[in-house]
Amino acid sequence: MQYLVQLLISGLAIGAIYGLIAMGFALIYKSTGLVNFAQGEMTMIVAYIAWSISTSVDGNPFIVAIGAIIAAVALGLVVERVVMRPMLGEPVFATVMVTIGLAVILRSSINFIWDAYPHDLDIGFGRGILRAGGIGIRTGQIAVIATLLALLAAIWAFFRYSKFGVAMRAVAADDRTALLMGISAPRVHAAAWAASSVIAGIAGVFFAISYDLSPAMFQLGLKAFPATILGGLDAVLGSGVGGLLIGITENLAGGYLGSGMKEVAGFLMIIVVLMVRPFGIFGERDIERV
Amino acid sequence: MRKYLTTLSLPLLLAGTLAASDRAFAAEQGITDTEIVIGDVEPLTGPPALLGVAASIGHKIAIAEANNAGGINGRKIKYVLEDDGYVTARTIQGVKKVIEVDKAFAMLGISGSGQSIAVMPVLEKAGIPTVIDVAPVKFLWEPPRKNVFVVGQSYEEGIIHLVTYLAEKNPGKKWGLITQDDDYGITVRDGFDTVVKAKKLNVVYSGNYKKGQRDFSSDMLQLKDSGAEVFLAGGIIAENIAMMKELEKLNVKPVTGIFWPGRIEPVLKLMGPAGNGIYAVDYVEPFASAAGKAFLEKAKPLVSEAEFKGINRYTMTGYAAAKVLIAAIARCGKEPTWACTISELEKTKSVETGVMAPVSFGPGVRFSNQKLQIMQSDFPTLSFKPVN
Repeated sequence: MQYLVQLLISGLAIGAIYGLIAMGFALIYKSTGLVNFAQGEMTMIVAYIAWSISTSVDGNPFIVAIGAIIAAVALGLVVERVVMRPMLGEPVFATVMVTIGLAVILRSSINFIWDAYPHDLDIGFGRGILRAGGIGIRTGQIAVIATLLALLAAIWAFFRYSKFGVAMRAVAADDRTALLMGISAPRVHAAAWAASSVIAGIAGVFFAISYDLSPAMFQLGLKAFPATILGGLDAVLGSGVGGLLIGITENLAGGYLGSGMKEVAGFLMIIVVLMVRPFGIFGERDIERV
Repeated sequence: MRKYLTTLSLPLLLAGTLAASDRAFAAEQGITDTEIVIGDVEPLTGPPALLGVAASIGHKIAIAEANNAGGINGRKIKYVLEDDGYVTARTIQGVKKVIEVDKAFAMLGISGSGQSIAVMPVLEKAGIPTVIDVAPVKFLWEPPRKNVFVVGQSYEEGIIHLVTYLAEKNPGKKWGLITQDDDYGITVRDGFDTVVKAKKLNVVYSGNYKKGQRDFSSDMLQLKDSGAEVFLAGGIIAENIAMMKELEKLNVKPVTGIFWPGRIEPVLKLMGPAGNGIYAVDYVEPFASAAGKAFLEKAKPLVSEAEFKGINRYTMTGYAAAKVLIAAIARCGKEPTWACTISELEKTKSVETGVMAPVSFGPGVRFSNQKLQIMQSDFPTLSFKPVN
């Protein structure tokens, strides 16, 4: 039993990181109809910026948090304005290729701006281990699970009750009609990119606290993308849940079927789910896939 | 008279032309009166830049040292470095560019094990003197290639040395192993299996993870559940860090061994106290040793501050290879040729580099077969120290 509980807790912790990045994927898709293949790289860049801030302010967690959020917003807005907005109206394939190019540029920038060494993001929090009944969990892992749950609730409320959230849903549903209703699609797109960057950045920072910070971190995007597909490419909340499901499934498979099954299990689950629900567990039926 | 002169001048003209063309054949590419070009292709971007950048810094230190001493018989060494991003196609492209466009006289490097293997036909066809130092794998020297020399020790021998040491130090204990699902992992596993058979080790856990995996919670839980007391962590860098942190979380501390690709000092800081006492095997000196400290002292004035920070064990392997190559070219005198350099490389005997045991090759021997040593991590000083 202790074995199972440990697997579940660890699965939830890594799943929460996948879930946050997956929510970033879904947020952009829901608002712009675009899959951002640079999501993992944006996660990594924000984490590196947070690390740079932490080394210059002696790890003060509040300054690091505020600085990282501001940096993430700026990154999202710059990418949207400079790279994505000129692609408005262009074929989806071309736009997707632009995000792939962006991913390569961001990935390479790590070595130019920082270095190839692994680093630890030490903000005096998240490293401690809590033990109960032979089960161990790091405080950072508890925090990332709590953050994901809080964000799920906040985003649900935002889309349901806030004016801007409703505007985003309107643009996602039909941007021309939304435009006729006086909603600025570019403004909505910019907000989606900024929010997506912040959410992914939060995941990156928590990952760096719990594990390490290295140029290989972008691979988190590859792990989170299946979570988005599982939850529904247009379902922000569903993607978050999809991340948790992937994390738990991977860990249970790894723990009971062997290390080799760990990577396979999540994808196996996606294949089965997509055969039954091609639009994902929480996705809407009429989405255009790329 | 005119006929006589014509008759006389024709053979003279012919002799002069032949002499000129002979001189043109003798002067190899990459050499001018003042300069000699040495080429290199390394991963300078992406995660493997950790080894590529460090190795290139080692080459730069040896080249700066030689240039400060007047160069190779009066010629300054020009170092041409290309980035392959650890992509094999780009390695081949980079090596071709360095040989055909930059006209390198000799090569150092080259990138990772897979990349070196892939580029071997290009090197062989060109015939350029090459000293490989980053990723020594048997294919590079078996069978021996005329112009390709390898400084280092094989991965398999390294693992055999480490596991044998740990087995003798921990008799009768239960063993655990995890490896990556690629050629690197297969080599580690092959070395491990050799000792398992020879010493009849009791292996209770054997895992295989996918390259790029970052979460090792279920793998380490399985290791704990198996009751393994000695553990060979077959990850490279980030993987080993994640494994040690997981073990710390699970409150278990088996005797752990890691391999040299991950034996870099910053890893210890990231592992935290969980990384204290880890055993490692290597053929270069640890920086905490007298030789390691002397190397750092030597390197400091020769590289930039940023480059100095990028120094790790691969800097030492790069430095040693460059020293051996430069010495061989120097022994060829004022007019070095590829044939002479290859011949002098073959004659390399007990060349002292200060960062590893003396380097030797021989007739038909293209692998330096460096002596191995076991070292142990010391978290308080964030260093590895020799244990024997």
